[in-house]
Amino acid sequence: MKKKSTLTILCLICVIFIASCSDLGTPQEEAQAPSQTQIDASSAHPGFTIKADASHRDAVSALYSAIYAEEAPKFVEKEADLLVVPVTDDEFDRGRIPNQFLPDVAFINQSDVPEVLTFIDFAISPQGQQVLIDAGELPGKITLTDQAGNSVVINLPVKRVISTYGPATSFIYSVDAENRLVSASYLGARDPKGSAFMEKIDPRFPGLMGDDYFTQEDFNLEQAAALDPDLIVTSARTSWLETAAQLNLSIFLFDAETPDRLKEAILLTGEIFGPQSSAYAEAWVAYYDEVINRVQSHTEVTTENEKPKVLFTGTEPLRVASGEMYQTDIINAAGGVSVSAGLSGYWNDVNLEQIVIWNPDVIIVPPYGGASVEAITESPEWQILDAVQAGRVYKMPKLVVPWDTPAPDSVLGIVWLAQKLHPNRLDVDCGEEAAYFYNTFYQFAISPEEIASICQAD
Amino acid sequence: MLQFARLINLLIMSKKQLISTSLMVLPVILFGISLTLGRYPISPVDILKVLISPLNPEVAADIPEVAQQLILRVRLPRILAALLIGASFGGTGAALQAIFKNPLVDSNILGVTSGAGFGAALAILLMGNTWQVQLSAFIFGLSAVTMAFIGGRLYQSTPLLVLTLMGILVGSLFSSLTALLKYVADPLDSLPAITFWLLGGLTSITWGRLIPLTIVTLTGITFLWLSRWRLNILSLGDEEASTLGMDPLRSKLWIIFVTTLLTATAVSASGVIGWVGLVIPHAGRLIVGPDHKYLLPVSISMGAAFLILIDDVARVLLPGEIPLGILTGLVGVPILILLLRRNRTGW
Repeated sequence: MKKKSTLTILCLICVIFIASCSDLGTPQEEAQAPSQTQIDASSAHPGFTIKADASHRDAVSALYSAIYAEEAPKFVEKEADLLVVPVTDDEFDRGRIPNQFLPDVAFINQSDVPEVLTFIDFAISPQGQQVLIDAGELPGKITLTDQAGNSVVINLPVKRVISTYGPATSFIYSVDAENRLVSASYLGARDPKGSAFMEKIDPRFPGLMGDDYFTQEDFNLEQAAALDPDLIVTSARTSWLETAAQLNLSIFLFDAETPDRLKEAILLTGEIFGPQSSAYAEAWVAYYDEVINRVQSHTEVTTENEKPKVLFTGTEPLRVASGEMYQTDIINAAGGVSVSAGLSGYWNDVNLEQIVIWNPDVIIVPPYGGASVEAITESPEWQILDAVQAGRVYKMPKLVVPWDTPAPDSVLGIVWLAQKLHPNRLDVDCGEEAAYFYNTFYQFAISPEEIASICQAD
Repeated sequence: MLQFARLINLLIMSKKQLISTSLMVLPVILFGISLTLGRYPISPVDILKVLISPLNPEVAADIPEVAQQLILRVRLPRILAALLIGASFGGTGAALQAIFKNPLVDSNILGVTSGAGFGAALAILLMGNTWQVQLSAFIFGLSAVTMAFIGGRLYQSTPLLVLTLMGILVGSLFSSLTALLKYVADPLDSLPAITFWLLGGLTSITWGRLIPLTIVTLTGITFLWLSRWRLNILSLGDEEASTLGMDPLRSKLWIIFVTTLLTATAVSASGVIGWVGLVIPHAGRLIVGPDHKYLLPVSISMGAAFLILIDDVARVLLPGEIPLGILTGLVGVPILILLLRRNRTGW
């Protein structure tokens, strides 16, 4: 009898163990320290020439003497190797992110002297930011209002950040501040394909992935303290804010579920990380607006009734996006109408009869949660729908971050959807835009094959 | 005088029979009415034509293809599923309350629902939303009861009491495991799927899923129907049953086996739908009394009627579906409280 009971208890323990294995699987991996541009302070005086306004010369001198051991830079009136120019152009300028080292002031490299590049890299790095703060050219702390309406005081430069919110992590990557991350939660990096791409984009990704310690529900105080962060960024819906408050750290909250809030969130992220990141943030916002305007100019002639009706389904075919979700904004921006815009809240379960009444022209499935086009097209019940009959069921693409989430990548979701909705009327190309976007905002040289497989995927 | 008493007796009996017979027609009537209800408007005449169309296609020639497909492929299987699952919960509830001699027992007494819930959550987490979820729910539902049995066999005395205890233990074990899975699930994708599943719903019913459900449910319910006189004897107690020449344990185990199979099948098709198995037998007792000759059939048909009705509300009221588990709870709890207050019928 004793044997039997021991066996039973063993069985129970086994079940518990197996079920919790997913929780125990990954061994603790120390997040690597952020790689930073290390400059040897005793470098020889390179002697390149700089052209700068009198108002910017102090800042340039401070940077210069920080690298070249108290040497003064050579300022000239014209024909310099390095120009200091104000950034005034608010228009979208494809492919050009200014090397902004002060707010709205940037360097332009006019020579092929390698020291100039080193100098620029230093100026826009956190150490350069520190030099400019010490020289009184940049503020040592800023107060920003986060998206939950709290005033947050942030000490600059921010060098060590914990992001526990996937979208916030993507904001940080898009403003070229990913080297400041010490732990992060990622969107779309759980599947093998997503994590492989994420590792290509940032080799530090496996060490940075912090889901074992930090999620929206869970916050490991000791791990956080051990990482010694300057700032924690997370979602306004996070449940552990009071716990984390014990660390006496700045916590910045994001709540970006609409296009306007998304733009605001990215601009705020830029401000947190300094002038260079602000330049990226402004470039992204300008690009986003430009894409939306370009799509609209091609689809404008369509009256409200002629716009294609779109159904955005979720992790199951009968789960649909509500009108309050960002997916509806993407559909509108792409020149369509969401049939389920009248629903409120988050994902809603509906029945097929309701979908038949809506009668969508196009059905979109998301690139996560095991959703598939086949689940709809191969179901005999769904054959009643015109969209299925016409073969207009498509899967939203993703590289890492799904293109339908409120993240920088969603600009591509708009382009892709607009092409699907208005096949012959648009001169905006998914492949072209994806190449530009990933090269510019993730500094990831995506291959033509990869682009083709992403944009063609349906 | 004696004849008069007999006549009264006969009248009472026939009244009971009348009630139970009319209650058995109820699901059929509701079935017909429900076919005409839906977000998509289709007239009752058209529905009749479509239903005849498999025999004579010309009848439905003037009805739009969409309407025909909706009735045959969406409404019909779904309402049939509501009928079968409701009947299954009502019948298993009545049978289990009888053999455990406890009015607070429902189909989850041996942890089958908790097990199935865990199985579904595990499959959603690991494999997404497909037929694997159904299969996994079914397998874990049966495993939960098997575990309760293995645990119950550790003691020789009063096996049913130990079985109940083990059922509660296994049930809470699986509830904890489900909570663990929900905790590790991705809040943006698998967590809502698990939550929706645990609340129950019939949106995903198709003919393919209905066929196994129909076979198991009809066989199981027929078995329960045939054992309804046994339930009367078993509800008297083991000694009385033995005196009447019955092996009480054997009969009980058979009934537990069949109800487990019924519940696991129903839950794996619909998700967790609470309260039907608990409340319906009570409502039945209030109407026809504790005699299982009437109570069992009435519980079965009332369960079917109740779930058809609840599912009508779930699919028609709003553009978005309302989870069945929420509706049955909202309606089921007040009924139970009312019944417990009017505690004057014999159990």
